[in-house]
Amino acid sequence: MREQAVLFGEVKSLIGILTDPPIRNGNHPKPAVILLNPGIVHRVAPGRIYVRMARALAAMGFVVLRFDFSGIGDSAVRYDNLPFDKSAIRETQDAMRFLEATRGVSRFILLGGCSGARISLQTACCDPRVVGAFLINLQLTEDEDQNSDQITRSAAFYYWNFALFNLKSWYKLLTGKANYRNILRALGFQARTQFASRRKMSAESIQLAANLRMLAERGARVTFLYAESDPQLNDLREAVGCELKQLCASGKVRVQIIPRSDHTFSSLHDQEKLLKKICVLIDAITPATAGALNQRQDRPPQSVEETLPQHGGN
Amino acid sequence: MRQAEKVAPFYFGSPDKLLFGCYHEPTLGRRRKCAVVVCQPVGHEYINSHRALRQLAARLCDAGFPVLRFDYYGCGDSSGSREEGTILQWLEDVSTAISEVRRRTAVVQVCLIGLRLGGTLAMIAAAQRADPESMVLWDPVVSGKSYLDGLLRLQKEMLRFRPKPSSAQEPQGYLDVLGFPLSRFLRAELEKIDLPPIAGSPAKNVLVIQSDQTAGEANLKEHLSQREARLEYQRFDAPQIWRPTSDGSLLVPSQILHSIVSWTNRVHR
Repeated sequence: MREQAVLFGEVKSLIGILTDPPIRNGNHPKPAVILLNPGIVHRVAPGRIYVRMARALAAMGFVVLRFDFSGIGDSAVRYDNLPFDKSAIRETQDAMRFLEATRGVSRFILLGGCSGARISLQTACCDPRVVGAFLINLQLTEDEDQNSDQITRSAAFYYWNFALFNLKSWYKLLTGKANYRNILRALGFQARTQFASRRKMSAESIQLAANLRMLAERGARVTFLYAESDPQLNDLREAVGCELKQLCASGKVRVQIIPRSDHTFSSLHDQEKLLKKICVLIDAITPATAGALNQRQDRPPQSVEETLPQHGGN
Repeated sequence: MRQAEKVAPFYFGSPDKLLFGCYHEPTLGRRRKCAVVVCQPVGHEYINSHRALRQLAARLCDAGFPVLRFDYYGCGDSSGSREEGTILQWLEDVSTAISEVRRRTAVVQVCLIGLRLGGTLAMIAAAQRADPESMVLWDPVVSGKSYLDGLLRLQKEMLRFRPKPSSAQEPQGYLDVLGFPLSRFLRAELEKIDLPPIAGSPAKNVLVIQSDQTAGEANLKEHLSQREARLEYQRFDAPQIWRPTSDGSLLVPSQILHSIVSWTNRVHR
């Protein structure tokens, strides 16, 4: 595995780290994987998870590029008036062009968390070179309330899913030892988000369902990955529940839930689960997307389990 | 639009322990005869303060200073795994970065700017080397024990609204601190940090920026006042940018950045 710092883009202002596998098969190259910024966090990602992901995927034979969109991390800001959603798609395409030119790869898997998931999906929809997308905690609506307080969001999930069934929590509630303010705030948040998401969902749902159908017809594999405590998971089910079931049944779309984890996968155990899941899933879709189901000469140098550090490694 | 800096990402250092660096080269106006090395914090504090330190580098570059920001071994984009980081290794990395910026710029004078544990590492490394011209210590970790207590408090706070991990889920030999493993060895090294007695005389000119009530702050101030260093001490009522925010935003304390740049300008006219 080799890591290289790279500069690319229209004016060579996008900064990224290219991770090459130890061995590459020239005849049946795997698609390259591009990791997109999770929100405004730079290309290392919370818990350094993107670095670990890139190294684990490179050990499986993938070329991996993780880079910063302009104005995020180390990449310079843009001086045009392009809105972020447009510039980010354009820059993801710049990344694809760069990998085509330097590594000869023409098929790509995009992976991103939070807004990186949204850009992955949008780019996949408009660029046929994208053969797969891993969308981690995709946010369907631009609801300010949901961005505003991650602590309240976590609290709401905790109360509904764990404290409600915990005798100790009930004891604290009934003996005056609970934080009533927190509980009320969390319940209020839950009620507000339910209303807000239902109100705004319809237009987005129609668009999302159409996009998923289109990607399925094109043969691109879409995987939704959600932390169990992320309220966006409910939004997804509400928005495209029926469509999603059909697409999942056909094997074109997958929804995977990382149990007991939070939005940023902020514990070592959650990170481990996420990493493992991605390695297993990406390995499973690669032969189909490569069109080489029965002639896999590009076997990863080690099995998925072997490439994963035992705990926290990388 | 004018571009006052050219940013070059690259790897440097020994081939078995490559470090990632971002070199900011001034492209307009006067070029100073002093290069700046930015020593970042570690763990979640590194993630949270990256945006502010990148902007600091851009502002210093705008003022004519060549700047090197770098990641320690096992941190950020540098090689190595998260568990491999040690204080000894990171001190060596600070020295490697100083040598690298001198090689790149052919400038002898170096100013070290360190935030949190980065400030501590910068101060110890400078005292060992005795060659940096100036130094900015931005909320340095003065007492390793207090620093560890703070990290563990934060971790406990984060777990407040989470299902508690079963013992089988807990990492062996590591403490989970906001998604970063803290090894027993690093923990022991951190516990030994008591800055004033080990720091010696770090540089000719020292600026201490304090926006947090740090344990041992008075001792550090007293220690530095007794040295030959020209000491300037500034206190700010500013957010502690290295801490996680409730909405996940990354803060940039403009007033502190401005103050650091104008002090560096004054010292290296």
